Amino acid sequence: MKDRIATVIKNARVADGVWYMTLAFDDFEEVKGAQFLDVKLPDRSKVLRRPFCICDFDAEKKTADVCYAVVGGGTQALTEVKAGEKLNVLLPLGNGYVPAGKKIMLIGGGMGSAVLPAVVTANPDKAFFVYLGFANAGKVVLEKELRAKGADVTVATDDGSYGKKGFVTTYAREAFDEVKPDEIFVCGPEVMYKAVRKCFDGIKVPLYVSLEQRMGCGIGACLVCNCKVKRADGEGYVRVCKDGPVFLLDEVVL
Amino acid sequence: MSNLKVNIAGVELKNPVITASGTFGFGKEYGEFYPISALGGICTKGLTLRKRDGNPPPRVAETYGGMLNSVGLQNPGIDHYLAEDDKRLAKEDVVVIANIAGSTLDDYVAMGERINESNAAMVELNISCPNVKQGGMAFGVLPKNVEEVTRAVKNVCKKPVITKLSPNVSCISDNARAAEAGGADAVSLINTLSGMAVNYRTRRPILANNNGGLSGPCVKPVALKMVWECYNAVKIPIIGLGGITTYTDVLEFMICGARAVQVGTANFTDPTAAYDIVRDLEAYVKENDIDINDLVGTLILN
Repeated sequence: MKDRIATVIKNARVADGVWYMTLAFDDFEEVKGAQFLDVKLPDRSKVLRRPFCICDFDAEKKTADVCYAVVGGGTQALTEVKAGEKLNVLLPLGNGYVPAGKKIMLIGGGMGSAVLPAVVTANPDKAFFVYLGFANAGKVVLEKELRAKGADVTVATDDGSYGKKGFVTTYAREAFDEVKPDEIFVCGPEVMYKAVRKCFDGIKVPLYVSLEQRMGCGIGACLVCNCKVKRADGEGYVRVCKDGPVFLLDEVVL
Repeated sequence: MSNLKVNIAGVELKNPVITASGTFGFGKEYGEFYPISALGGICTKGLTLRKRDGNPPPRVAETYGGMLNSVGLQNPGIDHYLAEDDKRLAKEDVVVIANIAGSTLDDYVAMGERINESNAAMVELNISCPNVKQGGMAFGVLPKNVEEVTRAVKNVCKKPVITKLSPNVSCISDNARAAEAGGADAVSLINTLSGMAVNYRTRRPILANNNGGLSGPCVKPVALKMVWECYNAVKIPIIGLGGITTYTDVLEFMICGARAVQVGTANFTDPTAAYDIVRDLEAYVKENDIDINDLVGTLILN
């Protein structure tokens, strides 16, 4: 973990309200899947960095990618950053997800899908079965990139305008018995975790999720990004930035 | 001859830069970025008698030039602090200021006693946390309460006591005088300003706690004026804070009467902010061949 100066290689719109940025670094630490980085915005009226999952990375080229939705002033300001400009970036942050099994089911909901390519890149010796869900065809991202990495990819949209129609969790659950994954990793909105908890109830494999929370320091000092978990010693708050963002779904209090 | 050392209530700090309570944990995380021994001091996360879980998230909302927080004093409790963080910090060559909080006068007295067991050089009384429903705010608002809680802790605590003042009051210099009358060895100000951030789409406040404490560069003008007011009201040293981001901010606070300063929100923008400020101050006093103490209270009014 270190703050570094990154050079923006590319920053372009790739889907409806979604941008993709590639950052190049002089030195590069090993990145695990589902870790994140924290970007200092060029706009000085914004005092907080913006945390984004590391969407993908290339250790040889020393690059890390961010796939982000424009949701507020900070991400809007980020779209205005041009190739060649510099950004101060802290990385890699968070515990990340290192699968223990060989056959892994990955489920992404909307922008939660942005964390999945890095999980595949970081684990070239594993087999990935990926299920991506989006609201509609205009929001679909990263399908091509995940296929190019050799993953088996299924896409569903809520309105059926692309791929299968309906919630992707339904299709993932249907495939579960046939695929027989050793573990499942899900990244999406909280409502998706509630749905996953219900439809995967009773399965015998570990099910991990990555949580999102508004952050302050990003390194575990300020305690603003905490979430509630239930562990052997009772319920309590843990830090999404340092103790997470990846947790067993069973322990997360939704 | 150039000098950056300052003295607060008999405790010598290598420089006037202290990291503010609640923004720096117990120094562990930032220690991965730079040696915390380079700092003038560190203020611990607010400590309470028992472990506190704090408020539900979201606990932070960015605002123009600042941020609101509503952590609600989450901390592992004094026992855990003494057993672990205090021992780790004792090995570092840095002045530790233990920030203590309570819900009742008895809590403060108990904390004032317990903290005697620690290696902390000083104690900062958090009587002005806006994110705690009981106590907290109440003690920080009325001068008579400020005096009472300061005196009660001073009676039991063997370490120098800094009373941290809330800006959410009618006259902060009255509260500074009250702290001084209660025996405070110093005052620190300002704690965060009470505020709210609202989402117009959902018509709800962004913070789960609805209200939070505002900090960051946007509060600096308020803090500077209050430091100046207090400087003219009391003889005890003032530790100034509120939006300090650069070494020139430090100089401004000292000119307004602060003998030392605290850096808070800037730590979030840049994890090395406090360290960078120290190095910039070193360069400044060397280049101008000044003793930083000579700046204190030298404001020239128009």
